[in-house]
Amino acid sequence: MAQWAKSLRIRVLPAILDLLFLGYLWLAVSISYGYFRFGRIYYSFFPWTTMFLVIVPVAALWSAWDQTVGLKVVNHELKGGSAPKRFLYALAWPLFPFTILTALFDPKGRSPAEILSGLTLSEVTLIVYRPWHRSLTGWLTALVLLSTMAAAWGVTRIEPSRLITGFAKTLKFWRAIASPRWDLLGLGLRLLAETLFMAIMATAFAVPFAVFLSFLAARNLMRGPIARPIYTVLRMIGSFTRSVDAIIWAIIFAVWVGTGSFAGVLALFVHSVVDLMKLYAEQLEAIDPGPVEALTATGANRLQVIRYAIIPQIINPYLSFTLYRWDINVRMATVVGMVGGGGIGFRLIQYLRGWSFPEATVLTLLIIVMVWLLDWLSARLREKLA
Amino acid sequence: MKILRARLLSLTLDLFLWAYLLYSGFTLYYLAELWTPWRPEEKLVWPALSPWEWAVVIVGIVEVVLLTRSFGPSLGQRVLGVHLVREGGARPTLAQSLAHFGFSHLELLLLGGGIWLNPQTPWHERCIGLRLEPLPPPESAVRRPPWYRTIYGLTALLLVAMTLALGWRLTEVDLQKLIRSASKSLRIWRGLIHPSFQYLVQPDPRIKLSFLDGLVQSLYMALLATVAGIIVAFPLSFAGARNIAARSSLGWLFYFLTRGFFNVFRAVESVFWASIFAIWVGFGPFAGAMALFIHTLAALGKLFSEQVEHIDPGPVEALTATGANLFQVLRYAVVPQVIPQFLAFSLYRWDINLRMATVVALVGGGGIGQLLFEYKDDLQWNLVGGVIILFMITVWIMDYVSGWVREKIV
Repeated sequence: MAQWAKSLRIRVLPAILDLLFLGYLWLAVSISYGYFRFGRIYYSFFPWTTMFLVIVPVAALWSAWDQTVGLKVVNHELKGGSAPKRFLYALAWPLFPFTILTALFDPKGRSPAEILSGLTLSEVTLIVYRPWHRSLTGWLTALVLLSTMAAAWGVTRIEPSRLITGFAKTLKFWRAIASPRWDLLGLGLRLLAETLFMAIMATAFAVPFAVFLSFLAARNLMRGPIARPIYTVLRMIGSFTRSVDAIIWAIIFAVWVGTGSFAGVLALFVHSVVDLMKLYAEQLEAIDPGPVEALTATGANRLQVIRYAIIPQIINPYLSFTLYRWDINVRMATVVGMVGGGGIGFRLIQYLRGWSFPEATVLTLLIIVMVWLLDWLSARLREKLA
Repeated sequence: MKILRARLLSLTLDLFLWAYLLYSGFTLYYLAELWTPWRPEEKLVWPALSPWEWAVVIVGIVEVVLLTRSFGPSLGQRVLGVHLVREGGARPTLAQSLAHFGFSHLELLLLGGGIWLNPQTPWHERCIGLRLEPLPPPESAVRRPPWYRTIYGLTALLLVAMTLALGWRLTEVDLQKLIRSASKSLRIWRGLIHPSFQYLVQPDPRIKLSFLDGLVQSLYMALLATVAGIIVAFPLSFAGARNIAARSSLGWLFYFLTRGFFNVFRAVESVFWASIFAIWVGFGPFAGAMALFIHTLAALGKLFSEQVEHIDPGPVEALTATGANLFQVLRYAVVPQVIPQFLAFSLYRWDINLRMATVVALVGGGGIGQLLFEYKDDLQWNLVGGVIILFMITVWIMDYVSGWVREKIV
């Protein structure tokens, strides 16, 4: 079984990666060609079906004659072999999905192309340095990079000339930026305080939940038939929730409880709980098992073990993680505010959407000062805790 | 000098602390529903007090601060790591503390003259037989009283309690509302469960953008901003590194200008730039890409130059000793040391830019965020669900790939 899985990893995965690579190249080339030739974006210049007629043969020839990108990833190469043998390999290469079958029956787990041509993939043991322009892979990679930049240029509709022609339009706004409405300073400070409190509340609410959950999400503490599934489920929920952006949580909560700082607190809270849970749990997994075993040996119960063997080991890292999270929360609070989370971000985006730059400048300056103070403070605190 | 700094800082800290506590108490009182059942326009207000009342408030704060400083370490003293002890290290007696409280008033009336003249042992402490000494380190044999029996512990408790109470009122935490309006959020959950991919490939006739168009725009916007940011930040980072740039007076000038630029521009929100560029070059992804580029340039520049400052100076000195010029030193001694970290930072920055690319759409930056916010404003939750799911899948793939690449290179 392991042999079979390994065979698929070095035979099927690289083939899929190569096809994705060439498919992407097709996309990028047609976007850039369409943009620079006709001024329009075509995701595929020719019909999609024709793409396969091109990329499959190219991938086959490529993998027969050079170490492809996919093979580089798994660190394998095709060794030896005369030109006819390699051509035979290329001809049979499109049969790579059948490796699922052949690898089961072949003692070496080879793919159809390998069986037919008599060549075998083997691990790279000696790295031969070749400059990029001496290999097909190098040229294809260079082409991908080039066409990516060209496609990005086209899709983003970059026109440097507009930076010059449009500049006159901004003169009025530069003047507005240069004359901030200082009478809004009081309001700005209040909003800044609100933003800081948003971060404080989110962190403060998150810590008890995260501390509790971290014990359930620590691999070394969760052993046994009931505990292990709890661990797995918690970790899965955690990584899912963490990967959902804070902006999206803010949108959800702005609908739920209405636009305002409470929605921002909730969005930051959700993210903080799962993030802190992971950080805390990893710290728990890294504790020294000695004291735990010693206490267990003396007959201490579970609570006593936690109190006297685990907590003393984790208290300082927990504190520094909490501070780190608070720092992130303050920075994120402005962005979360922009999409309906209240605080200074919400007001700033309102001013910016109305092009009220004298007002927006005051708020921006306050945010700059806040970021600086925060950097200074967190550097000092980290020094203290380290 | 150190003790003078500790005295001044701890006093300032104590004053600010008690002023904050008093103000938060006032705000909680002002916002208490008993006398302000309406929702006040501004939650943080400047208290309207007569001059006499202000005087009472200020004297009150000063008295409390002097009291806490005379009886056991105050929070400010604890943070700065000093405490008042008798000769020999014993705790002051009640009489000594009282005397210290009285004499501190005299010292205050003299505007701290005694402290300026003799920071180590000013007269008001010397004549009582007390001195300000650094706290013993935590691992020393001296047992400290438990935190709940000390002034600083109780003050810290009060600080935490007041901050949480104030935060609760300011951010309008309302758990009832959270439960009561759960039905409202059902709409968005339903949208997420039944996402609509109606405009996945075919453009939405109103916005003239399909989901894939938006996604590709966002991806390329983030990519272009990151690449351009790296290209500009890389050479500038050497000018912003003290160990490379600050070798001559001109170098110092360069160093300060570059660092100042980085520090200011990295703290400016990218939406600010996005709204300027939306006017400058017109709405669309170009404006978004420019905004992200400016922010990336400054943020990466700072990270890069800090990395350059932390290199091992050995190779630089060795190359300089052989007579290599600045360019050669950079090429052979500095760059090889910093390349892996630079790559890691850049990948990390791309992740951030992809997420920020949605936010700049709020002010006309283009990309998938445009669709997200349009549909959200029109309450088309199924389409919102579709956009969110597509975006999340992309972010997951990106996270996975960049995590893998980062593992390989670092």
